[in-house]
Amino acid sequence: MGDDPRRRSGREGIVYFGAVGAGLSHELSNVFNIINELAGLQQDIVAAAAQGGAAGLARVTDLAARIKAQVVRGEEINRSLHRLSHAVDEPDGSFDVGETLVLFGSLAARTARLAEVAFESRPPKTPMAHRGDPFALLLVLHACLRAAIAAAASERRIEVLAEEGPDGARVVVCSADPLTDLTSDAAIAEMLEFGCAALAVAPRLERAPGGGDLIVLNLGPESTEPRSSG
Amino acid sequence: MSDLKLLFVDDEEELVSALVERLEIRGVDAVGVTSGDQALEQLREREFDAVIMDVKMPGLGGLEALRTISRRYPEVKVILLTGHGSAEDSEIGRRLGAVAYLQKPVDLEDLLATVRQAVRPREEKASHGG
Repeated sequence: MGDDPRRRSGREGIVYFGAVGAGLSHELSNVFNIINELAGLQQDIVAAAAQGGAAGLARVTDLAARIKAQVVRGEEINRSLHRLSHAVDEPDGSFDVGETLVLFGSLAARTARLAEVAFESRPPKTPMAHRGDPFALLLVLHACLRAAIAAAASERRIEVLAEEGPDGARVVVCSADPLTDLTSDAAIAEMLEFGCAALAVAPRLERAPGGGDLIVLNLGPESTEPRSSG
Repeated sequence: MSDLKLLFVDDEEELVSALVERLEIRGVDAVGVTSGDQALEQLREREFDAVIMDVKMPGLGGLEALRTISRRYPEVKVILLTGHGSAEDSEIGRRLGAVAYLQKPVDLEDLLATVRQAVRPREEKASHGG
């Protein structure tokens, strides 16, 4: 039973889900902590005013705007968590690759920031439909990002983009630093293997024209209308 | 007025800004920075009684910075703050010389009480000419 590929694949997915969920939870805690301190600051200012100090209406108004900005940030984090949760709903449906790349960009931001790499996710300008498992694509992209972070050296720039290739839609992970081997880390290799199996793709390592390396994922021909992922 | 000199370190810029403003209202001489490297830079330039530092930060994290601070500035008290603390991190922090390991959010008055308690033995020693 322990060697059942579906079970092992599921385990890789849960590991990814757990890691991203924990990161988003941490980000939400940061938002709450900031709101807590800003509210405390507002109380401090009002208390000083009650004792005859100058409250400064502009300062109180500015604090309200700072609190609102954090609420907006919290809502965005929560939206990402919601979309991630629903990415597992339909493993064989039609989804928009661009929307999945946008979601991946927001989910991966913290990982990239902690690793001190400049990271950008660039979705295509027009919808790009694909039939398959959007969660598996997130899993594969996460494995690729971790491989690129592990290889990050002097350049420390990573991009993910989607484009129409000769064989249909393809997703490309671009690392400005050379990528030597995608299988040197066992955890990354397993995540990549099972994610790629679920997507029915084989990652290909290529030299990038301007330096660095590319991981190319040929998703295949475009399918019908894209299904909204969130 | 307080004569405390505090260095607050956290990669969340808005948190640093809000906390430093609140400390200043209480008369504390507070400086805020957003990385472990910037904290070491500040410590090279001026004296602080205590450093209040987040554990998880990009680049030089709180535990790594603590290791350097304990070695180079043993007189400076370090209080670690964490969002989701683990018992293991807490133990490592204490072994590296942190005087306290606190879970966010921390009530500011409680935080200041912890700082004053940590700094007091040195102040008492100084007032007794030791």
